[in-house]
Amino acid sequence: MPTSGIELLFEGRNFSRLMLGLWVSVRIALLSMLFSIVLGTGLGLVMNGRSRVGRALSRVYLEFIRIMPPLVLLFLVYFDLTKVAGINLSGEVAAVVVFTLWGTAEMGDLVRGSISSIPAHQYDSARALGMTELELQRHVVLPQAVRRLVPLTVNLTTRMIKTTSLVALIGVVEILKVAQQIIDANRFEYPGAALWIYGAVFFIYFIVCFVISAFSRRLERKWALS
Amino acid sequence: MSSRRPAAPGRGAWAVLALVLSFVLALAGCASPGPDPAATASNAPTDIVGARTPDQIKQAGTIRLGVFSDKAPFGYVDSSGNYAGYDIEYGNRIGQDLGVTVQYVPVEAASRVEFLESGKVDVILANFTVTPERAQKVDFANPYMKVSLGAVSPKDAPVTSEDAMAGKKIIVVKGTTADTYLTTKHPDFQVTKFEQYTEATNALADGRGDVWVTDNTEALAYTKQNDKFVTSISSFGSADTIAAAVQKGNAPLRDWLNEELVTLGKEQFFHKAYDKTLKPVYGTEVSPDELVVEGGKA
Amino acid sequence: MDFGFIRESIPLYGEAALLTVRIGAVGIVLSLLVGLVCAAIQFFRIPLLRQLVAAYVELSRNTPLLVQLFFLYFGLPKTGVVMSSELCAIVGLTFLGGSYMAEAFRSSLEAIDSIQFQSALSLGMTRGQALGHVMLPQSLALAMPALTANVIFLLKETSVMSVIALPDLVYVAKEQIGNTYNTSEALVLLVSFYLLILLPISLGARYLERRVRYANFGD
Repeated sequence: MPTSGIELLFEGRNFSRLMLGLWVSVRIALLSMLFSIVLGTGLGLVMNGRSRVGRALSRVYLEFIRIMPPLVLLFLVYFDLTKVAGINLSGEVAAVVVFTLWGTAEMGDLVRGSISSIPAHQYDSARALGMTELELQRHVVLPQAVRRLVPLTVNLTTRMIKTTSLVALIGVVEILKVAQQIIDANRFEYPGAALWIYGAVFFIYFIVCFVISAFSRRLERKWALS
Repeated sequence: MSSRRPAAPGRGAWAVLALVLSFVLALAGCASPGPDPAATASNAPTDIVGARTPDQIKQAGTIRLGVFSDKAPFGYVDSSGNYAGYDIEYGNRIGQDLGVTVQYVPVEAASRVEFLESGKVDVILANFTVTPERAQKVDFANPYMKVSLGAVSPKDAPVTSEDAMAGKKIIVVKGTTADTYLTTKHPDFQVTKFEQYTEATNALADGRGDVWVTDNTEALAYTKQNDKFVTSISSFGSADTIAAAVQKGNAPLRDWLNEELVTLGKEQFFHKAYDKTLKPVYGTEVSPDELVVEGGKA
Repeated sequence: MDFGFIRESIPLYGEAALLTVRIGAVGIVLSLLVGLVCAAIQFFRIPLLRQLVAAYVELSRNTPLLVQLFFLYFGLPKTGVVMSSELCAIVGLTFLGGSYMAEAFRSSLEAIDSIQFQSALSLGMTRGQALGHVMLPQSLALAMPALTANVIFLLKETSVMSVIALPDLVYVAKEQIGNTYNTSEALVLLVSFYLLILLPISLGARYLERRVRYANFGD
């Protein structure tokens, strides 16, 4: 009998199931990323802002979220929020909430980092040229900060897509879970299926994230010229 | 380094921000647990928190059952993407007799109690063995299957007794009866724990352990299909039962399930389910009466 | 909350935390080495090696550690290569971390005006000296936020190691959730121990970042 298992990929609806699983992963990651960019930009500005309280609070938030493994957050939001507060979120919504919490912290830090990496003398020069604070932000800080930010943001996006595999633990069927289901349902006929199915998942993740990275590089180059 | 011109990305970024902001506001509406039970995903249990009685389930028109999606032949997903297996036969029948649609929620072995406690599912039908520890957290209905532990080891190096496991590398799946049993009875044994059945069987096949301890049904199913391994101990530990579980205190649903078992017993439902799902795997070596429980009476 | 249970479990988590730190530390040091070598290869545009590095970076950055580990641990044995779970974890972490570190070094090197490199050469420095004495010290300041983020990222990534049966913090916590159902206690312990490991590192990184930026003052 066949032992390889590569044909398993195309048996029944297996391939379209993997693709559906991929769509679940990507959907969660992109939604979370959208929210994170908005909220994280705000957070980053607060972190570089003048308010001491704001800076302190945002620091505490950042440290807290950074330290929490996403898995713990997933359990807290999915299970404990229901038990404690009676808020019953579906697995996918819980995942978006958690990844947004996490992404906001990471984005905030990236925004903070790229703004503060602009040397102090540029601020002084801009002020000496008579720019207002707003002009300074708009014409000096923002263009440079955004340029630094883009590759880092894309980096975070691919990281987020990759981290979505954890949501299987709260009952969301994404690509890796589908892979395991396929391997298990066929473990008697195709004991070697793990190599091929995991290999396929590896490849699929690669293609998706590679396309996103390539897109960002193009953007980077385009902007670098202007 | 300093460019005084307002570079293109500046304007683009602001446009994106505005767009995203409106999006956030739109989604915040869906995500907030308002009175409007807008389901956002296909498996979204957003309407009610906590236990539901059979009447409430009938009214809602859907029952949520927590099942395994990677434990053939008990609960798995076939190549067409449909749930199938012995547990699923039971689940489908529950839905049919309640007159509601069944929504299967895939669960992991270690988080089965959590799914019930937080009201994410109405019933756990995931090959859930009745134990005193679990009975403190959930309410079990009457059983529909019997089980004890079994051990799988390579044909050329069989591990034939519980004592012989000392010093051997033992594989288990985390949160299963085998895990609990070995942890409490033999804390000195060398146990490697995996999260999924797929991982445990692969690890065994790759020679990462000397013996795999699991439910004996699972052991028999595995070795039946795999010439290199034998069920070297076909039954040890305590003889346990497998039953559906509901949230602690949900007596109406548990009582309904028990009555349902009596009805099903009259038509020998679980023997039929056995023939359909387990017999192709076990063949004639196992008598169905060793595993099947009819009418809820073990 | 069952505090007796928490007290009894502390040694268990302590042991797991040590494993997390050990694997994380080895993986991070190796990642930095791999990253530095890759960045140097790209900086000097060494033919062939440069393309290899580019391919490696793409492959590593665009696939999840979880899938890499599955492949190393479950896939490779089908071809006869069996590594222990600890070795798999270190190899996986280095494979992943190396490319992240390489990118951090590379992008910060690129941010420094190449005229500095040329000036250094015209002063009679070798290419290696120019990289080591002129480019790297400056780029480190720029790379610091990314590097420290990577360190924390890699330490947190170790939390997926439990899938290849490595008894780290998550493994112990899930084990307790599955066996004793003390979910809240297990999660509290898990969070506390991650806090214990990562908070000092995160604060230390922040301090370092400030120090390095200070050194860069005046540009």
